[in-house]
Amino acid sequence: MSIFNRNSKRTIVKIDEFIDNIDLGILVFREGIKSYIKGDMEAFSTHLGKVDQLEAIADRLQREIENEMITYSILPQHREDVVKLIEELDEIMDGIKSSMYEFDIEIPQIPSSLGEIMINLNESSANAAEELLPAVRAYFRAPHTVREKLLKVYYFESETDKIAYRIKRKIFHEMHEIDLARKAHLRYIIHHLEKISDLAQTGADLLSAMAVKLII
Amino acid sequence: MILFFLTSGLFLGWSLGANDASNVFGSAVGSKMITFRRAAIIASLFVILGAVIQGAGASGTLGKLGSVNAIGGSFTVALAAAITVYMMTRLSLPVSTTQAIVGAIIGWNLFTGNRTDASTLTKIVTTWISGPVLGAIFAILLYMLIRRIKRKSGIHLIIFESYIKTGLIIVGAFGAYSLGANNIANVMGVFVPAFSLDDLDLGIFSLSSAQQLFLLGGLAIAAGILTYSKKVMETVGTGIISLSSEAALVVVLAQALVLFIFSSSSLSDLLVKAGLPRIPLVPVSSSQVIVGSVIGIGLYKGAGNINFRILGEIATGWISTPVIAGVLSFFSLFFVKNIFNIDIGTKVVETGLAETVSKPWNVSEVMKYVILAVIAAGIITVVYFYLLERKKKSEFRRSEQRFWKYIK
Repeated sequence: MSIFNRNSKRTIVKIDEFIDNIDLGILVFREGIKSYIKGDMEAFSTHLGKVDQLEAIADRLQREIENEMITYSILPQHREDVVKLIEELDEIMDGIKSSMYEFDIEIPQIPSSLGEIMINLNESSANAAEELLPAVRAYFRAPHTVREKLLKVYYFESETDKIAYRIKRKIFHEMHEIDLARKAHLRYIIHHLEKISDLAQTGADLLSAMAVKLII
Repeated sequence: MILFFLTSGLFLGWSLGANDASNVFGSAVGSKMITFRRAAIIASLFVILGAVIQGAGASGTLGKLGSVNAIGGSFTVALAAAITVYMMTRLSLPVSTTQAIVGAIIGWNLFTGNRTDASTLTKIVTTWISGPVLGAIFAILLYMLIRRIKRKSGIHLIIFESYIKTGLIIVGAFGAYSLGANNIANVMGVFVPAFSLDDLDLGIFSLSSAQQLFLLGGLAIAAGILTYSKKVMETVGTGIISLSSEAALVVVLAQALVLFIFSSSSLSDLLVKAGLPRIPLVPVSSSQVIVGSVIGIGLYKGAGNINFRILGEIATGWISTPVIAGVLSFFSLFFVKNIFNIDIGTKVVETGLAETVSKPWNVSEVMKYVILAVIAAGIITVVYFYLLERKKKSEFRRSEQRFWKYIK
């Protein structure tokens, strides 16, 4: 019986490590985009490197967790859901990495008048992803509290949408000084920042259904 | 020859092992928490232990219902029960070995002119209803307890599930023990009055005649588990586990407790000492207790959509199984006695002396029995085809429902 527990405990440690990794990735994303908008490219490069590392670790952990859950028949009933949830969290990490790489490759020129609101957009999108993590942790220990924790994810996701809408409207309706190509590029970059909160919402939807399954 | 007469009981034991072991370990095996091999070994071992150590109680009650006092009679009664179980299983109808054996014993009583003890019969029939009800009550209480512990402790889901996994093995072993203790009466109960073997001294302990029979029966159940229960465990098991892991544990535990209660003479004596009524030691259907427990959990969760058709089928089984087994037993006894000239038992007279039922070979009487047999065979055939038709219809309905579900 102790063998069961030893395997289970190792998987728990890995899941916690994986969530910590995503948490750290969101933090680095928040700071990285902020430093890009503020023009601190050195800090941005450091953060980009860090995200790269974190994403690689997340991928490794994801594979290990999936393998262990199947090999040791851990959570046989909820395994599919948990594996799916971990995949969704990994999607967030992938989204973070790809967004930062878009900034690095395409070097979007963000007008100074949009600086503050772009930082707000980034903050709000990162907040949505960040608020998903306590709910994920709660799923394993107190599933009846998951839904209330997810409310914040939905709130920040909706805030992100509103901010993104405001920025896009401002770009296309008020900023006549920039050409259409740049406008389209900015819209594309906004979409990338916004995507993190959308991914968080997808994860939240899945988690919400998973928690219901555990409660009933 | 003795071994030949035991074959019907052993066959009954084998089919019980093949079918009922899934109630105990199905959830653990179906969910791949434990390998079939390990489950089969644990179940076989504990079934034998339960049968030998605690099998006498429920067996005694069956003896009171009808003390089949000739080996030919025991063989025929067990065979009639086994055929009934086999036939109803083939028709996918809920069937209980307990109900079949009770019907077959009553058939023997009618044939030999023995009186069926109404109070014992009432006691047995009452447990058919009280077993599932008790299972439901235990399931609700245990489920409430386990949910409360889970919520209050804030235990990690993975650790909790690993405890459940361990719990399913322990409870499964207890369930197998209770199954052996309670259901061995169905398998070997009818042979006990007809058999008288010398005590088997094994040094540390000795086995009485009944215990030797129970050991044989236990081995037959174990053979059923080892050879034929895998598929049943994998299919039935996934059905049970679809509740939730803790519910599966609760269901198995509730069933084990009910079977244990209805077979523990020490527990019954303890209640009597405490001034409470005695627990009837009666074999109960493990499958029906499982259904009761699952319904209990459903009720606790507030499920309004209880499938009354299943309940109806079980209730129908309470009547149809003993009737079919009884009729089959009656006519089989006639053939065994008159065609094969085998002693099938005696009428126990009031003074306690036995009077052999060996009437002279009378042609008109034989004709009477032949006509009765033809009528009975006709009735059984009609019932068989009716049930077959019903099964086809229900299968068609199910496939249609599945089709529309996929379309939607």
